[in-house]
Amino acid sequence: MKVLGQLAVIAAFALAAAGGTWWIKGPPLRTLACDPASLKADEVCLQQIPADAGVLWVDARPRGEWLRNGVEGSVLWNLDPAEDMQAFEAEVAVRIVDTPRVIVYCGDESCGVSRQVAERIRALGLGAEVSVLFGGWRSLSEAGRVRGSSPNP
Amino acid sequence: MLVAAMSAVVQAAGLDFPQTLKEIHAPVDAKVVTAGFEFTNRTDKPVQVVKYDAACSCMALKIKDSKLRYAPGESGMLRADFEMGNFSGTVDKVVALWLDDDPADKPSVKLTVRVHIPVLVSLEPKTLKWELNGDGGPQTIRITMNHDSPIRVVSVNSSSAAFQHELKTIEDGKLYELIVKPVEIGSPGLGILRIETDCTLARHRLQQAFAVVRKPTPGEAAAKP
Repeated sequence: MKVLGQLAVIAAFALAAAGGTWWIKGPPLRTLACDPASLKADEVCLQQIPADAGVLWVDARPRGEWLRNGVEGSVLWNLDPAEDMQAFEAEVAVRIVDTPRVIVYCGDESCGVSRQVAERIRALGLGAEVSVLFGGWRSLSEAGRVRGSSPNP
Repeated sequence: MLVAAMSAVVQAAGLDFPQTLKEIHAPVDAKVVTAGFEFTNRTDKPVQVVKYDAACSCMALKIKDSKLRYAPGESGMLRADFEMGNFSGTVDKVVALWLDDDPADKPSVKLTVRVHIPVLVSLEPKTLKWELNGDGGPQTIRITMNHDSPIRVVSVNSSSAAFQHELKTIEDGKLYELIVKPVEIGSPGLGILRIETDCTLARHRLQQAFAVVRKPTPGEAAAKP
């Protein structure tokens, strides 16, 4: 009984502190935050890439998602064995000749497919600079940079 | 007592997977490979598997006996069947499990199936590069067959007339050389070389290499002496 009382007191204090923080600082930030200083060597933050930068965007999500809400002008390269990997290679190779800066994105920050696709693009040996987008499609969507999206306030 | 009560709350969710990475060396002719992930609920509360997903139509997932709720101490098995399609080389496939009240974008568990698929026809290098207005001399791709039975090159086709090519047989069914030369070196260009073999396994039959004439990238230019 004594323990329950102590728990109730702690919970009441925590609730009051959280409410105060909300009142003073506003609601929690639910958008993805990317800190360039903490990126892995092959990653980039979206804020480092101006909207008009000459970038070949490679979408590593399933085809249906790419068609629905990929980046305008992006190409598809996922790891679905039902897809034609050689067609992906050929399409990317042709585009790299004109746009040697490549950024791969997948669903969100926890998706690992973009890194595998980036490896495969590097392995083509076409001399492209290939990066993985931190936060993936989610960060693009929040910035209003995919089909059918608008920037979050 | 209070600390014990709080820590019990922290440990309330979770399944223990002794192995979260399974490596499989697939046989040459395998179409599907299977990985099994065993798990146990080592908490003192029941755990509910809410959802599991591989984000790929190539991966079929099944939990043994379709059981989704696990009492403390209970064990189970998740089976992942990976359909290999036309892959070769190494492929990682990630399986995510959402437990109890996991948020939609933060599954508690991530499992990896790493499949090593034999490369029967290897091209080295896969891409030939010429510098714009540089030396336009011929370069060679070595085509090596890594199989018990011979694999022969049946044809080579280029997507572009800007590159000439010639196939040389070094050892029939084992080793070939593809010699490629740009017709002119004064303008950028890309050629896709499609190499067809008589390999009986469909995913190894057709190979692809690249020939490119381009300006060096800033990194390549900086690396020059």
